[in-house]
Amino acid sequence: MIFAASLAAAVVIVVLSATALALWYERKLAARMQTRIGPQFVGPIGLFQPVADLLKLVQKEEIVPMGADRVLFALAPPLTVIFALAAAAFVPLWPGVAVVRSDVGVLLVIGFGGLAMVPVWMAGWASFNKYALLGAMRAVAQSISYGVPLVLAAMVPVILAGTMDLDGITQFQATHHWFGLWPIIPGLPAFILFLLAMLAESNRIPFDIPEAESELVAGVTTEYTGMQFGFVYLAEYVHTVVGAAIGSVMFLGGWDGPFAPGLHWLLLKTLCLFTFIYWIRWTLVRLRADQLMTLCWKWLVPAGLGLVFLSAAWNQTGWSR
Amino acid sequence: MTPGFIIAALLIFAASIFTVRSSKLVHAVLWLGAMLASTAVLFIQLDAPFLAGIQLLLYVGGVMTLMIFGVMLTKKSGDGELRTESAPALRGLVISLALFGLLAGGIFSMTNGAPALQKPEEVASIAASVLGEHWLAFETLSVLLLAAMVGAILLARKRDAGAPESGKASPR
Repeated sequence: MIFAASLAAAVVIVVLSATALALWYERKLAARMQTRIGPQFVGPIGLFQPVADLLKLVQKEEIVPMGADRVLFALAPPLTVIFALAAAAFVPLWPGVAVVRSDVGVLLVIGFGGLAMVPVWMAGWASFNKYALLGAMRAVAQSISYGVPLVLAAMVPVILAGTMDLDGITQFQATHHWFGLWPIIPGLPAFILFLLAMLAESNRIPFDIPEAESELVAGVTTEYTGMQFGFVYLAEYVHTVVGAAIGSVMFLGGWDGPFAPGLHWLLLKTLCLFTFIYWIRWTLVRLRADQLMTLCWKWLVPAGLGLVFLSAAWNQTGWSR
Repeated sequence: MTPGFIIAALLIFAASIFTVRSSKLVHAVLWLGAMLASTAVLFIQLDAPFLAGIQLLLYVGGVMTLMIFGVMLTKKSGDGELRTESAPALRGLVISLALFGLLAGGIFSMTNGAPALQKPEEVASIAASVLGEHWLAFETLSVLLLAAMVGAILLARKRDAGAPESGKASPR
C-alpha cells in the first residue's frame, strides 16, 4: 500500500517534470526543423524556459467571462490534467511493477482516455463563447469517433498476447517479439493506427481541429487566462507523453530491451515516440473537420476491423508459439 | 461495510440527488457522470475491474457523451440557460421510495441464501461464458445493434442529396 502510494507520487512527479522537459524539447525540435535555434537564454541551452513560462502564467490575472458557468469554468482545467495523468498509473515501469497492476489494464487505460473529453467539454461549455463551444463540440465528436479505431488497434496486442494486462503484454513481447515489428502484418499497421487514433484523442496536429486557430481562435482555451490556460495546455502534453508511453508498452515492448531490461528502455522508447509525434506535428497540416471524420469512419475503422481479424487468424496459425 | 464502500455509496447517493435536483441541465449531466464513475469505484472494490472498465468506457464515456451531444444539439440559440424542472418534492419522494422498496425487495429475495462469490471475476471466464455458453444471445444482440445503427443512419439521412450547400461532400 505504502509502496504503491509512493510509486504513484513518484510517477506523477516524473510525468509532470517530463512534461516540462517535453515543452522545452518540443520547442527546440520545432526550431531546428525551421532552421531556428529556439529558446537559449533562460538557463543552459534554454533549459529553464518552461519554468519561466510557468512563472509568467502564474502571475497573470485569471479572468472569468461574464455569463460563464463559474464552477465548471474553474473546475475544468485541473480536471483535464488529472484525467490525462490517470492512465499513467497503469504503465508497467519495470518487470512486474506498475502503480496499478490490473488484469484489464488496457481497458482501464482506454476508459480513462475516453474520460479526458469530459473536462474539455466542460471548459468549452462553461466559457460562454461560441468559439469555445464549437471547439468543445469538435473535441467530443473527434474523441468518440477516434475511440473506435483506438480500441480496435489496442485489440491487436491484446489478442496476440492473450491478455489485457499491460505487464502481461510486455512480458509476452519480451519472450516472443515486439508487436510493432512482428508479426508485421497485423502488428505494424495496428501500431500506426494506434498512434493516429491516440494523436486524435489528444487533439494533436494533424488532428487538432478543436483548437484550429484560423477558425476557432483557440478553441476551448479561448476564454482561459493565466494558470487555468496553463492547465489545459499542460494536460495536452501530459496526454501525449502518457500516450507515447502506452504506445511503447503495447507495441514496442515497454521495459524490454537488449542488455538490461528496465525503466530506461521504456523512457527511451517513449522519447522516440514523442519525437515522432512532434515531428508529425511540425510537418503536416491540419485536416478539415469533415476530412477528419471521413478518415476515421471510412478508412481507419474498417482497417482496424481487418487488423483484429488478421491478428485472430495469426493466433490460429500457431506460429507465434 | 468497509469505509471504502461507505465513501463510494455516499458519493453515488449525493451525485444521484444532485442529478435529479440541479436546475441546469448541463450540471445534471455532469452529476450523472460523477454518479456513474462512483459506481465504477464500487466495482473496483468488489474486485471486478473488468466491470469498472466497462462502466467507464460505456457509461461515462458513451452514455454521457450521447447526453452531451443531446444538450449541445438541442440548445436554443440566444438564451444561454438550459433549465430542467423537478417533480414536486412530495410526489418525487413517494415514487422514488416505492421504486427503492421494489428494487430492494427484489435484490434481497434473490441474494437470500445464494452463496457469496468465492473468487474474483476473471476476464477469461466472462469471455468464455459470453462467447461459449451464451453465443446465440451475443450474436443476436450484435445483429440487433447493427440493425439499430443502420436504421438511425437511414432516419438521419437527408432526403434530397446533393443540395448545393453540401457541395462535394454530398452522399452518393
